[in-house]
Parts: sequence; structure tokens; C-alpha cells
Amino acid sequence: MGVLTQLLLIPLLGALLILLTPKQWQSLIRPIAILHALATLILAWSLIASFDTSLTSLQFAEHHVWNSRLGTAYSLGIDGFSFPMVLLATLLCLIAIMASGSINKMMKGYYLLILLLETAMLGVFLAQDWTLFYIFWELTLLPLFFLIDRWGGKQRHQASLNFVLYTMGGSAFMLISLLVLFDTLPGHTFNMQAMIESAAGLDPDVQVLIFLGLLIGFGVKMPIFPLHGWLPLAHVEAPSPISILLSGVLLKMGSYGLIRAATMLPEAVVSMQNFLAGIALFSLIYGGLLAWRQSDMKGMIAYSSVSHMGVVLLGIATLNVTGLTGAVMQMVAHGLVAGLMFLMIGLLYERTHTRDVNHYSSLIRTTPRFAFFTVLAFIAAVGLPGTAGFIAELHALIGGYERWGWVVVLLTVGVMISAAYAIRTVGRLFTGPIRDEMRDIADLKATEMLAAGVLSLGIVLMGVFPARVLELFSASVNVLGASFAKFKGL
Amino acid sequence: MAEQWIWLVPLLPTLASAWILLGMLFGFNRGERGERQTALVIQTASLLSLLLLLALMFNAVPRQQLPGLIDITTWFSTGDYQIKLNFLLDGLALGLSLVVALVSLLSIRFSVNYMHREAGFQRFFAILGLFNGAMLLIVLAGNAMLTFIGWELAGVSSYLLIAYAYDRPNATENATRAFVTNRIGDTGFILAITFSFILLGNVDWPSINAGNENKAGFSLVIIMIGFLMAAMAKSALVPFSSWITRALEGPTPSSAVFYGSLMVHSGVYLIIRLQPLFEQSPFMMFILILIGALTAIYGFLGGLVQTDVKSSLMFSTTGQVGLMFISCGLGLFEIAAWHLGLHAIWRAYHFLNAPAMLHLMHKPARPVPAWLQNRKWLYLASVQRFWLDNLANAMLVRPALNMAHDVQRFDEQIVVRAVGLPNSVGAISSLAQWEEYKDDNTGKLIGDSGAIGRGRGALGNLMEWLASVFSWFEEHLVLKGGDEGVISLIQHAGHYLNRLEKLLSQPRYLFLMIILTFAVIL
Repeated sequence: MGVLTQLLLIPLLGALLILLTPKQWQSLIRPIAILHALATLILAWSLIASFDTSLTSLQFAEHHVWNSRLGTAYSLGIDGFSFPMVLLATLLCLIAIMASGSINKMMKGYYLLILLLETAMLGVFLAQDWTLFYIFWELTLLPLFFLIDRWGGKQRHQASLNFVLYTMGGSAFMLISLLVLFDTLPGHTFNMQAMIESAAGLDPDVQVLIFLGLLIGFGVKMPIFPLHGWLPLAHVEAPSPISILLSGVLLKMGSYGLIRAATMLPEAVVSMQNFLAGIALFSLIYGGLLAWRQSDMKGMIAYSSVSHMGVVLLGIATLNVTGLTGAVMQMVAHGLVAGLMFLMIGLLYERTHTRDVNHYSSLIRTTPRFAFFTVLAFIAAVGLPGTAGFIAELHALIGGYERWGWVVVLLTVGVMISAAYAIRTVGRLFTGPIRDEMRDIADLKATEMLAAGVLSLGIVLMGVFPARVLELFSASVNVLGASFAKFKGL
Repeated sequence: MAEQWIWLVPLLPTLASAWILLGMLFGFNRGERGERQTALVIQTASLLSLLLLLALMFNAVPRQQLPGLIDITTWFSTGDYQIKLNFLLDGLALGLSLVVALVSLLSIRFSVNYMHREAGFQRFFAILGLFNGAMLLIVLAGNAMLTFIGWELAGVSSYLLIAYAYDRPNATENATRAFVTNRIGDTGFILAITFSFILLGNVDWPSINAGNENKAGFSLVIIMIGFLMAAMAKSALVPFSSWITRALEGPTPSSAVFYGSLMVHSGVYLIIRLQPLFEQSPFMMFILILIGALTAIYGFLGGLVQTDVKSSLMFSTTGQVGLMFISCGLGLFEIAAWHLGLHAIWRAYHFLNAPAMLHLMHKPARPVPAWLQNRKWLYLASVQRFWLDNLANAMLVRPALNMAHDVQRFDEQIVVRAVGLPNSVGAISSLAQWEEYKDDNTGKLIGDSGAIGRGRGALGNLMEWLASVFSWFEEHLVLKGGDEGVISLIQHAGHYLNRLEKLLSQPRYLFLMIILTFAVIL
């Protein structure tokens, strides 16, 4: 059994154990979940040592034919694009579980579903076969639907239904595209590598149609304007640990899929390049301005995700190495930053039971540790130099400038808008007159500090020493960038 | 090669001053206990630079030749322009630098006792050291740029010493006034340096003096006017005279060196330094005479009606400086130089003696002479110091203030609003206001830019408008039209399907369906 399969099985095993835990041993559930998430984390991060960053091919690959007539296979593997996502997913899952201390109703179901979700998410990143990818993709919906619907806020039913409807709708387009692709290709296989090779021969118009289908499917998840309708409600209504996973990992599944689709159909992407950049820039500003209007802090972070994922899309749309590097970096950076923001706001909400920024004031006196990590999170969201987001935005900016020149100045407008809402929120939360009702808020506890500290450390380390992270995916990005280069009169 | 060490002459007192400042910063010479050390450092430095000058003199004089321009190094060069670090040691520079070094040393020695137990003892000597270095630089510098550095340092140290008692509003106001007046002269200096660069490509004194009017024409006159303006401001000639009486606010020994003997003469020095240049232009020479004469009359008449020691000394100094300008204008530069040196020493003695004057005087001061008393208008003008101050106020200060007001109004009314900065109306400016808001406990401050979704200023309003458009779009099309729309669509569809199902389950429709099916098949 390959190491990647083990990676998938550990959370599943945890879920199974939790399922079998008798009712009187309920206090064991949380430790079991933490243990398995930790084991997954350790296993995934231990791969760093043996992951060869110079290789462009798949590593740790596993391949078992599943249905030879359909050309499907159980095929796993990681490359420069998926490995950072795997690392991010395992980290955020552990942090989400650690932050779930306040969940005390139906614990069994909750932790079971979270571990199931982890398996599904890892599966999406590990799968090297489109059928397998699709299965894991749909599998993430199941736990998420229940997690939002059972443990969410007031409008949880609507939020979960919305979420599923949107994603299913997108998936339908994705499925049709995949089937068309399967059908038109002579090889009749779903293997990603094989599909890349055979898709190159397709008629450009067909390529564009297929890519459009995939774009809708992945665009819903990512999300890109105007397919983001599910996102604000789902992020706001989901319990905070689930919000961490939603924006930290789930959104990255969309952009990850888009990169895979772009690898497969380079000609289509080249012809749609300007359109993609247009949507990206619009999403960037649209999300930013709406975030600025939110007084609900979770709503604000949700819309800021739309804005930040716009940077990812812009990076992808540049189709050059610099921009793609920015895109992948932004995926990692936003994973950490959004994770940290939702973590802090979630913990704050547990204590005050309000998410309206107007209700807060002068928290820096009562909760200095909170203030420190939250300010760091918001600063990182703006992409201040020294944080991971800066590296990403800078790459996207340079890549975009190489392609479009001064138009990408809109990206900096987006950054400025993000500064407007970030600084405003920080000011609202931590400065101003002291309020009586905010006087007795407890500061961060040790475990919470640990979770926030790990994320902050990641954000800062990646901002100050980005070379090691960039190295992780540089080989893959170079290959992808080179594959577009031949199309370019660019 | 002894003259290569000339750069030490201005540097030594400056270093001493830096040392004293460091001592103040790190606290190793503070208070009364630090006085001995401070005095020792500054006196030693001044003495050393005097001795160095003497050595240079005894090195050069017996050989009957002065070294002239001494190049130390190139300070910087960009493109065609380069500025050297060089010194000019000719008869004029050597003589005057000896006077400067001697008067400074003696004044410093005098001040050690005079300033004993004054608050700011160390500060005084730090500035005096700086001034000493600056004055030596003015007279020794080999090019206009270097002289200008000394010129400015002297101005700054003069400002600092006039404002020595900075807790007195009078002192600070006078210091500002003096400094600003000096800056007017500085614009002339900068103008002259610039034109020298453009015309001659060089700012070394000998090169400027070699400038030929026939070659350069009117531009050379601009250089002269520039330098003359600088000289007039520094030497307090009419119409710049009024600042110097204000400058007496500083401690007496500083008045002695600054306005009595040294700094006030630097303008004269500048003119003498530029003798070959001015000699080319009879017109400029005439101007020198005119201004000198006006100043001499001003100093003479003003001096007659003064009632306190320092002011009358000051007016008489101004008058003497006017005379020196007249000498220059008549072409008697040599005489002006001698006059300068002698007057500097003599006036320094006067000023240093001024505090003790009342003890030394045995008969009352002479009254204002009868001829002046009889001419009422002249008397009034003299007492009013010829309204020079009022003139400056009306012509320069008030227009500048008014313009500043207008600009500020523009800033507040237009710029601040457009940018959306919190202005003085919106911001919390006092602690009382702060407390009020705190008690209010609403958490909302007036002018709080943090209101959700509200922008300020032009860009902020644009942002607000755009955000509300987007928000409407989001609400109505994406959220309602999207999710809720989809859900209600599904519900409606389900409803209709249900009805259809019910209809179909009724026998007659079932029968109809079967018939239809058959019809299609057949």
C-alpha cells in the first residue's frame, strides 16, 4: 500500500473508530480525531524530505486499474501543484479540529464528518484520474452539507442547500465536459497524464467548449464572479472551524482544478486569456468592495476570499511562469491567512456571540494576544511585505504586467481596498473607548495560541523566506509556463 | 606641505562642539560639574586652531609667498560640475582668520566666567564652537560653496544663540525673525553660486573673480547682485538692518562675537573677497557706496537716540559697517579690510565690556544732540528706526501670512474634503472630548472614518457608491436571483410536477395517455 493511500486511509480510519466509539466513551472522540488528523499531518509533512523538487513528473505514484473497459483507474500521485495543497489541507484540518473545542452537541457526527471531509479533500488533490477526482470532488459535498446544516448558524438550512445546489450545478457542467473529452479522445481513458497528451490534438473550438464547462465547475468552487452566490451565506453560517476549511482548502480545490484543466487544454486557455483576466480583476474589486461594506466579520472575510481568489485567477490567466507562481503562492498564502482570520473571528464569536464589528471596541486592553494574532492576520490579508500574501501578489503583479502592462494596476486598487477594510476592522476591534460588556473577554488559551501561532509563523516565514516554498512547485510551474509559451505571440 | 593641514583650522572648534553635544546626549558633561570639562575642550580646540593659523603664517611669511588655493580633495562631482574641498590662504584670508580665531578664543575665555552656573552652559559653548568653526570656514574657504556652508552654519548658530532663552517668547520670535531675514540673503548667495556654475563652470573664488564682464555681460551682474544681497543681509545693511537689533536677545558674549565683531563683518569680507569682480562694474561700485552711505546714516542717527548700551553699540557697529561698504565702493578695499579687522577687535571689547558699562560710567550719558531734537520728523524716524521693521512687516510678513491663511483654507476646504481626511471639526482634539465620547459609550466617534460601508473624500465616495451598486447587484441578482431564485424555482417545479402526477394518476388521463401512445406508435 503506497504512502498516498495511507494518507487517505488514516482519516478514514479515524472516522471509523469514532463511529465505533460507544456512547459512554464520548470524551474519547475529540482526542481520536486530533490524533488521526495529527498522524495525517505528520505523514504528509514527512514527505517533504523525500519529495524531489527538481522532478517535474508525478511522485509517489500509485496506479491500479479499476475498470479497464471505461479506462478508469485508482491512480494517485503528487506533483508541484498538488503537494503544497496537501500540506495545507492536512495542516488546516488539524487546526480546524483543534478549534472545534466548543462543539458539544452531536460530537460523534461532527468529528466523523470532519475526518471524512479530510479524506475527500486529500483525495481531490491526490487523484490523477479524472473519475477518481470527480468522485472525491463530490464526496466533499456530503460531509459539508451536514456540517453546515447541523452545526451552522440561524440560516444554516438555506446555506447548506445553496452550497450543495451551486456545487452540484457546477459539477454537472464539469462532468459533461469530462465525458465529452473522454468521448472525443481516441485513447478512451480518464488518466490525467494521458488526457493531456491526447487533448492537444483536439479542435480549438471544441477545446474552448470543454474548457468552459470545466471553468463553470471549478469557478463555482473557487469562486469567481458571478458564480460565488453560495459563498457568503455558507461561510457565514458554517461553524467557524468549517469556515476555516471552506475558505482555506475547499476554495483551493477550485483553483487547483482550474490549473489541471489549463494544463490539459492550453489552447483554449490561451484564447480565453483576456476574458479570464477580466473576470479576475472584476472579482478582485467586486469582492473587495463588498467586503468593505460588511459589518458581519465573517461576511467580510468571505467576500475578501472572493477578492483574494481573484488574484489566483489573475495569476493563472497570465500564463507565464511568474504569474503562475503567484497564483500557487496565493493559494497557499490565502489558505493560511483565511484560516487564521476565521480562526480568530470564530474564537472571538465563541466568547462574545456577536460577529458585528460595530459591537466591538478596545479589545487590545482586555485581550492583547487576540489583538496580536488578529492584527497579524489582517495585515497578512492586505499582503504587507514580510507576509506570504506579498510574495504572491508581487508575482501576480509582475506576471500580469508582463502580459497586459498597466491594466494590472487594478490589482493594486484591489489591494488598497483590502487595506481599507482590514485597517478599519482592526481599528474597530482593538481601539476606541472601553465597553462594559467587552471587559471580561478571556484571552487566547494555550491550545488556541498554538493553532494561531503555527499559522502566523507559516505566514511570516513564507513572507520572509519564500525561496523554500517557491522551490516546492517551481518545477511544475516551469513546465506549465513552457507549455503555454509555444502558443504565444504573447 | 604644512598648509595641507589647514582643514583642521575650522574643523577643530566644530569637533569640540560635537564633543560637547555628545556629552550632553550621553550625560558625561551635564550640570555644573561638567563645566570645567566643557570649557577645557572648547578653549583647547579654539587655541589649537589659532596656533595652527599662527604656524601657517610663520611658515609662509618669511618666504614672502602665501600658498593661495590649497586643494585638499574633491568633495563631489556630477557631470561637468565638480566641487573641490579647497581653501584659499592669501593675505586677506590669513589676516581675517587670525582675527576670527583670536576674537573667538578671547570671547570663549570671557564666557567661561560669564556663563558660570547658567542653565545651558554646555549648549552655549557647543553653539559657540560651531560658530567659531563656521566663521573660520567662511574666511578660509577656497570656493563659494564651502563659504556658503560656513555662512549657513553661522546663521544657524546665530539663530540658536538668539533663542538661547527659548522659554521667552520674545527670544524665539526674534531668533526666527533674524534667521528668516538671513535666508533672504541666502537666496542671493545660492543664485550667485548657480550662475557661477552656469557661466564659469566653477565656484572657486579665483575663477569667479577672473570672470570677465565683456565675456559674460549681464549675467555677471546677476552674480554680483546675488553676492551683494547675501552680504547685505548678513551685515545688516539697509534695508535688512532691523534684524540685528533684534538679535541682541542672546547672551552678551554671543552678541559680541556675532553682531559686534565677527558675523556682521562677513558681508564686508565677501565684498572684499570679490574685489576684482566688483571693480569691473562701476555701476555696482556705485550701489555699494549708496547702500553703505544709507547704512552709515541709519546707524549714526539711530545710535544717537538709543537709551541702552547694547542697542547703541549695535547701531554704531552698523554705521561702521556702512562706512566699510563706502570704502569698498570707492575702490579702497585695502582700507576696508584694515577697518574690518580693527573694528572687529575694538567692537568685541566694547560688547564684552557692555555688562560692566554702568559700573564704569561716572557721568550720565550724553543727551540727544540739539540739532536732532529740533528736527522732529528726523528724531521720530530715528526713534522708530526708520520704520524698517514695519516696512518688512507690511511688505513681506503680512502678505506671507495672508497667503499661508489662504493656502490653509484651500487645504481645509478642498484638499482635506477631497481626500477625506478627518479635519479639525471631525477629529478629537482634546482630552475632554475624548472623555465625553468614552462616557457616551456608543463606541462611535464624530468623524470616525470606520463607519461600515461609508467612505470619505472623493475616492471614498466613489468607493462607497461603487460598493453600494455592487451590493445591490449582489443582493438582487446573485443572492436572491441565484440561490433563493433557484430554490423557489425548484419548489415551483416540484409543485407543478406534483399536480401533473396527480392528474396523470386519474384514470381518464391515463386512458388518454395510452391512446396517445398508440397513436404515436401507429
